[in-house]
Amino acid sequence: MNQDQYRILSRRFDRRDGHRLAAYEADGGYRALRRAVGELGAVAVREEVKASGLRGRGGAGFPAGVKWGFVPQGAETVYFMVNADESEPGTFKDRFLLDYDPHAVIEGSAISSFAVGAKLCVIYIRGEFGWLIDRVQKAVDEAYAAGYLGRGAFGGAYELEMIVHKGAGAYICGEETGLINSVTGLKGQPNIKPPFPAVSGFLGKPTIVNNVETVAAVPWILEHGATAYRKFGTEKSPGTKLFSVSGPVRRPGVHEIPLGLPFREFFDDWLGGMADGEELKAVIVGGSSVPVLTAAEAMEVALDYESLATAGTMLGSGGMIIIPQRCDMVELIQVLMHFYWDESCGQCTPCREGTGWLHKIVQRLRRGEGAPEDLALLEKVCEGMAGLTICPLADAAVMPMRSFLQRFRPEFEALAAGRRATEPDSRWAREIRS
Amino acid sequence: MVKVTIDGRELEFAAGTSLFDACREARGEALPHFCYHPDLSVAGVCRLCQVEVEGMPKLTIACNTAVREGMVVHTRSEKVRRAAQQILEMHLINHPVDCPICDQAGECGLQDQYMTYGLYESEVGMSDKVHKAKVQVIGPRVVLDKERCVLCSRCVRFCDEVTRTGELGIFNRGDRAEIGVAPGRQLDNAYSLNTVDICPVGALTSLDFRFKKRVWLLKSTPSICHGCATGCNVRVDHEAGTVYRLKPRRNPAVNGAWMCDEGRDTYRPLHAADRLREPLLRRDGALRAATWPEAWEALAGLVGRDAPLGFAVVAPRQTLEEIALFTHLAAALGAAPAAVSGGPREADRGEGDDLLVSADRAPNRASLSWLGLEEPAGADLAARVRATRGAVLVYGADPVADAPGWCEAVAGRTVIHLGTRRGATAEAAEVVIPLSAWAEKDGLLVNRQGRVQASRRAIVRPGLAQEDWRFLADWLTATGETDAPVSLPELRGWVAARVPALAGVDLNVLPPEGLVPDAVAAGHGGER
Repeated sequence: MNQDQYRILSRRFDRRDGHRLAAYEADGGYRALRRAVGELGAVAVREEVKASGLRGRGGAGFPAGVKWGFVPQGAETVYFMVNADESEPGTFKDRFLLDYDPHAVIEGSAISSFAVGAKLCVIYIRGEFGWLIDRVQKAVDEAYAAGYLGRGAFGGAYELEMIVHKGAGAYICGEETGLINSVTGLKGQPNIKPPFPAVSGFLGKPTIVNNVETVAAVPWILEHGATAYRKFGTEKSPGTKLFSVSGPVRRPGVHEIPLGLPFREFFDDWLGGMADGEELKAVIVGGSSVPVLTAAEAMEVALDYESLATAGTMLGSGGMIIIPQRCDMVELIQVLMHFYWDESCGQCTPCREGTGWLHKIVQRLRRGEGAPEDLALLEKVCEGMAGLTICPLADAAVMPMRSFLQRFRPEFEALAAGRRATEPDSRWAREIRS
Repeated sequence: MVKVTIDGRELEFAAGTSLFDACREARGEALPHFCYHPDLSVAGVCRLCQVEVEGMPKLTIACNTAVREGMVVHTRSEKVRRAAQQILEMHLINHPVDCPICDQAGECGLQDQYMTYGLYESEVGMSDKVHKAKVQVIGPRVVLDKERCVLCSRCVRFCDEVTRTGELGIFNRGDRAEIGVAPGRQLDNAYSLNTVDICPVGALTSLDFRFKKRVWLLKSTPSICHGCATGCNVRVDHEAGTVYRLKPRRNPAVNGAWMCDEGRDTYRPLHAADRLREPLLRRDGALRAATWPEAWEALAGLVGRDAPLGFAVVAPRQTLEEIALFTHLAAALGAAPAAVSGGPREADRGEGDDLLVSADRAPNRASLSWLGLEEPAGADLAARVRATRGAVLVYGADPVADAPGWCEAVAGRTVIHLGTRRGATAEAAEVVIPLSAWAEKDGLLVNRQGRVQASRRAIVRPGLAQEDWRFLADWLTATGETDAPVSLPELRGWVAARVPALAGVDLNVLPPEGLVPDAVAAGHGGER
C-alpha cells in the first residue's frame, strides 16, 4: 500500500526547507487564501469546510464548519485563535506541523479567520515549545512581508493581524476558554459555559478556537474541494488524521492515515509492529486522557471517531501510546495521575481534590502500603469526579484511571494485597514522564 | 414568565431567573452550595448545586442555568443526592476538620451541609492531607486560614466586583491553590469584613470577633445600623446583654448584602465605660447619682410654668418617634418651636463613598425636615441660643464637644442633658437623665432615601436608664398634657397623624425592605 497517498498534512514533513515561504509557495501555497478572498468569499469558504466534514482535531472531534456557524450573524468583532498548546501526554503531532509546515498553519488560520470574519488571529503556542515559537514567528513575519497578512493584504480585499502568543506552562490552557483567559492575561483556567466562546469569548466578543491540525487541513480542502477530502476516511469521520506514536514499535513518530483504517493495519504496515523482543500489551489510542485498550481489543478496532467510541475509547488527539508487556500498568497510571494532579487548575472541587486523591491512592499502592479496599475507593473517587466539573480535565483523569483498573485489575489487586511493587524496568515510564 | 417543574411542582418564574433561585423557592431551602452568592457573579466552581434537568445528558449546576419554558428539574433524585454527597466529601478531604478550635463552628457551610448529606467515616488519613498556612493576619480586621478554605472564590469576587479593590486572588493551581493577598497589599478596604460574612467556612474570620463567643450562644435581633444616613440593615448578635458583632442583613433596596467596617464598630459605644446608668444631679458643684424621684423634682424646679424652657436641641441620631415627641415636649415647656433645633450639623459629617458609606453620619437626619425642624449650623446655632432665656435642654447630642461657639452661648445658663454617655455636655449640666442607646430600644429611622426602617431592641438598658419615649411622655404628662401616648404603637400613630409626609402610613406595619412614603417618593427620589 502506498502510504504517501494519504499525506495531506504531512506532505512537507520530510523536506528540509518545507518551513520556508519560498518552498511553500512553490508547492502552490497561499493560492487557497487568494482564492478564498478573491473569488469565494466567506460564506462559500464556510460552506466548503462544512461540506468536507472536517472535525476538530484537538480531541473533541466537533465539526469545524458547524463550530464556525455558531458565531452570531452580524457580529462586528470576531476573534480567531489557533490552539497550539499541545501538551497531552503522548501527543506531538501539532509540533510537527508547526515545525515543518508553519505556512500551512498560517494559511489555514488566515482562511479560517476570513471565513468567520475575524481581523485578529492569535496562534497560542505552548510555552515549552520555545524553538517552535521562533519558527512560527519567522514564518508569520514572512507572510506579512509577502502581503498575505496585515492591512491591505490582497489589495485591501481583507485584513488580518496575526499574533504568535506564548503560553506559560499549563496543560489546561489547551481548553479553549482557558486559552482565551490566558491570552487575555488572566489566570489560565476554564470558564463556565454558557456563554460559549463562539458567542462571548476573548474580550467578550465571539471567538473561534481551532486546533493546529484542523486549520492546517483547510487550505487543502479549499484547493481540492470537499468531495476530494471526503474520499479519505469514513462517512462520519472524513479525511486524514495525524497520529503521533510513541512506544517500542519499529517506526514511532508522526503518521498520517485515512480515518477508519483498522488499527491492525496501521500497526503492521505503518508502525512495522513491535520492536525486537517487545510484545504488545495495551494501546492508548488518542492521548493519555482516553481509556486504554488491551492488545486484543486494539486489534479489533478501526481508527475513526465512531468505531473507537463503540469500542469504549476515543480518538482524542491521536497521541497513540504503545504499551509493551514489560510495562507495569500501575506505575504507568501513577505517571498519568501525577500529570493530572499537577495540571488541574484547582477551580472545581471534584477535580482539584479528586486528582490529588487518585494520585495519593495510586502512590500508596505503589509503595506497598495499599489495602484491598483501595480499588473500590479509586472507583468511588472517579465517580465523584466524572462529568461534574466545568471542563473535561477531571474526566481526562478518570477515563485512564477507570480503564486501567478495569482492564488490568490483577496488577492493582496484587499491589493492594500488600505485595510491594516489583521494581520493573521503569525507564520506560520515566521516558513518558520526561 | 416561564413554567418550570421542580420536584413535581409546576411553578412560574420570570424569564432569566437563575435555576438556583427557582429551586430555592420550589424547595423552601437552597440547594447545597458554597460559591453561589446572589450579589456576586456566578463562579460555578464548588459544583455542589448539581440538579437533574430532563433532556440534558449530565447533571448541571443550577447557579449557571437560567430557567426555560417547560424545564423539568429534579433536585432530590438519588443521582443528585449522590453527586452532592461525593462533592462534599471532596471538599472535606484536605480540610483540617479543626472545628473545635474554629470560630466558624456553628455557622459553617461545611458543617451544616455535612450534617445534611454526611458521610461520617473519613476515607482520608490525616497524614495524607495537603497542609497550608494558618492564622495569617491579612488586614487590620481579617485573619486567613488557608487550610480551611474551600476555594469558593466569594471573597475574591467581592473584592473584584463590589469594592473593586482587588486585594485577593487565588494563587497556584490544583490542590495547591490557595487564597492570598496580592504582593505588597493587605485586605484593608472599607468593607473587608464582608469577606468574613460570605466565607462559608472558617477560612476568613474577624479579628474583632474571633474567640469572643461561640456563635450558637448568640441571639440575633434584626435592626438598622446607626453609623450613617444609609441605614444598612443589620443583625445584632448578642448574649446576656452584651452585643458581640453586627452582621449585614440583605436588603436589595438599601445595602444589598453588605455593610461597611466602620458601621460594624457601632456596637462598641453601647458598652462604653462612660454610659449613664442613673440620673445625675449637680450638688455642691459636682454631679452626683440620684434617684428618679429626685431627678423629677429637680426637673420640675428648673423648668415649669414660671420658668419656661429657653432652648432645646435634639440630635438626628434619635428616632423619628423620639424627635417628634421631643419637639412637642419642648413646645409644651415653653421653647418657641423655632427655637427647637436639629442639633449641631458638624458632629455628624465624615467622608462618604459611592458604595454604602454616607458622608452624613447621622442615621435619621431625613426625619428632621418631616418634623419641620431647622438645623442651624455653627455660629447660627450659638446666636439662636443667645437670643433666648431660660434653661437649655440637650437631647442625644454633645454640643459642648461638637458645636463651635456653644460653650460661650450657654455660659451662665442651666443645661439639662438627656443622653446615654457622660460626655462634655453632661459634665456641664445641672441635671443628667440616663436614656437608652440605639440597641436598647425600638424606634424608626428615616434614611437618605426617605425610607422608614425599624430598629429593634436587642439588649436591656443599663442600670436605671429609661426608655426614651417613656421618659418624654412622662414629662409631657407632668406638664399637664392629658393625652400623651401610653404605648409605642400609639406614639407611632400619633406621629403619623402629625407629619404630612406620613399621611396614610401605618408606621406599626412596615414591609421588610422598609417604606418610602408615597408623598416622599413623589416629591423626590431620594439619594442613592
